[in-house]
Amino acid sequence: MAPILYQSVLDRPLYDADRQPTLGNFTRVLSSAEFWSTLGTTLVFGLITTVLAVVIGTVFAVLLTRTDIPTRGVLNSFVLVPFYVSPLVLAFAWAIVYGPSGFVTLFVRANLGLPTWNLYSIGGMALVSSVYYVPYTYLYSTGSLALTDPQLEDAGRIAGAGPVRTLLSVTLPLLRPALAYGTLLTVVSAIELLSIPLVLGSPVGIQVLATYLYKLGLTGATTDFGGVAAVAVLMLIAITGLVWAQTRVTGQERRFVTVGGKGTRGRVLRLGNLGWPFAAVLWLYVVFGIAIPLVGILAQSATAFLSPLINPFTVLTSANYDVILGPNGYTSSIVNSLIVSVVGGAVGIVFIALCALIVYRSDFPGRKVVQYLALYPRAVPGLIVGVGFLWAFLLIPGLGGIRNTVFALMIAFVMRFIPIGFGAVGPSILRISNELDRAARVAGAGWLSTMWTILLPLLRPALLSGFVLLFISMLKEYSSALFLFARGSEVIGTTMIELWRQGNSGPVAALSAIQLAMTFIVLIVGQRLVGARLHG
Amino acid sequence: MVHDLVKEFAGGVLAVNHVSLTIQEGQFTTLLGPSGCGKTTTLNCIAGLEQPDGGRITVGGAVLTDVAKGVILPPERRNLGMVFQSYALWPHMTVFDNLAFGLKLHRVPGAEIRTRIGEALDLVGLANLEKRYPFQLSGGQQQRVALARAVVAQPRVLLLDEPLSNLDAKVREQARFWLREFQQRLGITTVYVTHDQGEALAISDMVAVMSQGHLLQFAPPKDVYERPATRFVADFIGQTSFLEGTIERASADTVDVRLARSGRVLTASAFAASTKPVVGKAATLAVRSEKIRVGATAESEANVLPARIKSFVYVGSAYEYIFETSEGDLRASSPVQVDGVETRLGLPPEALVLLADEPAGR
Repeated sequence: MAPILYQSVLDRPLYDADRQPTLGNFTRVLSSAEFWSTLGTTLVFGLITTVLAVVIGTVFAVLLTRTDIPTRGVLNSFVLVPFYVSPLVLAFAWAIVYGPSGFVTLFVRANLGLPTWNLYSIGGMALVSSVYYVPYTYLYSTGSLALTDPQLEDAGRIAGAGPVRTLLSVTLPLLRPALAYGTLLTVVSAIELLSIPLVLGSPVGIQVLATYLYKLGLTGATTDFGGVAAVAVLMLIAITGLVWAQTRVTGQERRFVTVGGKGTRGRVLRLGNLGWPFAAVLWLYVVFGIAIPLVGILAQSATAFLSPLINPFTVLTSANYDVILGPNGYTSSIVNSLIVSVVGGAVGIVFIALCALIVYRSDFPGRKVVQYLALYPRAVPGLIVGVGFLWAFLLIPGLGGIRNTVFALMIAFVMRFIPIGFGAVGPSILRISNELDRAARVAGAGWLSTMWTILLPLLRPALLSGFVLLFISMLKEYSSALFLFARGSEVIGTTMIELWRQGNSGPVAALSAIQLAMTFIVLIVGQRLVGARLHG
Repeated sequence: MVHDLVKEFAGGVLAVNHVSLTIQEGQFTTLLGPSGCGKTTTLNCIAGLEQPDGGRITVGGAVLTDVAKGVILPPERRNLGMVFQSYALWPHMTVFDNLAFGLKLHRVPGAEIRTRIGEALDLVGLANLEKRYPFQLSGGQQQRVALARAVVAQPRVLLLDEPLSNLDAKVREQARFWLREFQQRLGITTVYVTHDQGEALAISDMVAVMSQGHLLQFAPPKDVYERPATRFVADFIGQTSFLEGTIERASADTVDVRLARSGRVLTASAFAASTKPVVGKAATLAVRSEKIRVGATAESEANVLPARIKSFVYVGSAYEYIFETSEGDLRASSPVQVDGVETRLGLPPEALVLLADEPAGR
């Protein structure tokens, strides 16, 4: 981060020998009308996204975990799908299906003669983003609900409340800590989200901070180094504040959950006749929000032209895949993505295991600092991670050779996803009674040998899950790569953005389909082979 | 062995307040007290799992901890055995591997590891379970494996942290006798932590009663029960009533106490060795409910107190009474059923215990 702070107070690019310290960058940014209107748009966008995502996520969590709503299992799998899908792919998929000339849009307008909507708007962006962020709230809420004693709800029923009333006045209030956490996480993520505003907002001139930064840094004729740094610093300050609030809330949440005691299972509220109507509403969301767009992008990838006016089966083609996989195609980005994800995931999980064991299982005096450093990158938007590493590679002698290689991306990705992996491994460590380490110490083992012989074997499932999680996160990552990639080190995400900017929606769809296939293969293999669990 | 141990928790609270204990070799010593009294902290300090802020811990001639000299051996270098409340059997290892772990670290040769594990499992009666994993064992079996693991490396001292608290009440009572027998067969010096007074009395050679970080009494079980040193000890163990008064006359083995309200004089002949009666000083007498003789006649008793039944319940082996007397309520348990509501209570001198002052609170 240091290079960004440094650059933000320089008048010229930080590698320029004539650089002078200045506060001009900040005054320039803060006095530009564009910055303020962008900030306003970002806040409106973030707010709508968060409200939608939290409400939908909570409804799903409560109905699927605490009631006997029909088809729970299938709904549970579907609502989590966006968690594994790159937001870039989700944005493309929605654009292909619901965009101004999208399949469904045209169908409604031409075949049904009804008025249509405009996806390329703040509301549209927020809607798509909320679909992407629903799993966050959903996962935190189900986690918390699983620890809630169902007898609390039984008591509500016996006191005379109906099922819906019980959910509203007993179950929901108990969820407050989880909801607060989910809300903050969604706000932070929505503010730094680049892909969906880039795909849906940029074509019509709607600009949020992330796309503004992207424009300043990458698409202008000349890069405005000082401006990029100043905007980045301002974003960092805001997001650090939010993350600080978030850790405060999490601290309380943990206390809340552990006091809750034993996990209970089994009894759920009977909805009776209300079950099917509720299920229908949830299915509506799943089908229109997730299933149709993803089917749409697959259909687009396999056809020359996707429109309700033409039978898609008459225009089937493999041309889009040929563009990607052909001799002059983009296979290198797929290969790079795989290398980065596999090696980066492996390196990342080893590093995470080490940090987590030091933080939770040692007397090392600096362990609080380690924990803070491990969790801080969560506060840093991907684009800024990219800028920071780029400038660090420029500044630090000896690291220049790494720049423009996949190693640069790998380092940035590992650092970016350490908090996610840490969040997955940490609770597993806490769940292992420390009497097990103590027993080993008394039996004559030192700290290192205790960690190696007792804790690591017990953590193996958690570490494998963590690896799968890192792999998938790195496979779909694009934002921190945008500043760092060069010809030869491009990854799937950067190639998709490039192709989309050239207007090649067919090959983009094909590449998306390939990425989706890779993700779900790894996910399924992971779950079958090692019982990896990515959540819960 | 434990000398002037001090452990301070954040906020200046003394979890262990200058506790000193000398444990004889081969004895079974119990640290007894309610939760938060400092007993587990003391045990952990002996094990090296927590670092005391002051004091010295030695075993035989070997110094394990000497805070003044900056010596605090890590747990793995103390050669102790320990059984944890949750047993802490490593779930990814078989019973055999669990036992072999410490032996390998002590560089015991492979053949000897086998024989020693065989012996240890024989000792706890689980000979054929070497290949099982902990989750395939019942609670009682897990507890025995944990015990076998703790002693297989022939430690200098065996530490037990409420090892019976996870067992069912019935199994627990059997395990108590079995554990005592096990310890005596090995002749191993044992320090045991529990909050269960019945367990402590049944199993120990010596009981150390603790409260709020203080060691209140360190004595054999019989003394702890019959001559409790302080009001807390008397109250914590068994069912006890208290009488307040002033010491009127004191000799080597009896004291006369004038009761505060009725002015009646009672003779008491029981007190802990550490209690020094001083004439004219306020005094508290403790009396166990089962030692009160209900329906006593004036001729047969040295100390008699008229009483009135306030309430009673029948519990099978006896009646549990609450009597109203001039000195306040007294609890008594007796097989004698009282006719009417008025009766007299006999308080034998040997059942009246003169208590020492409580140490100043923390």
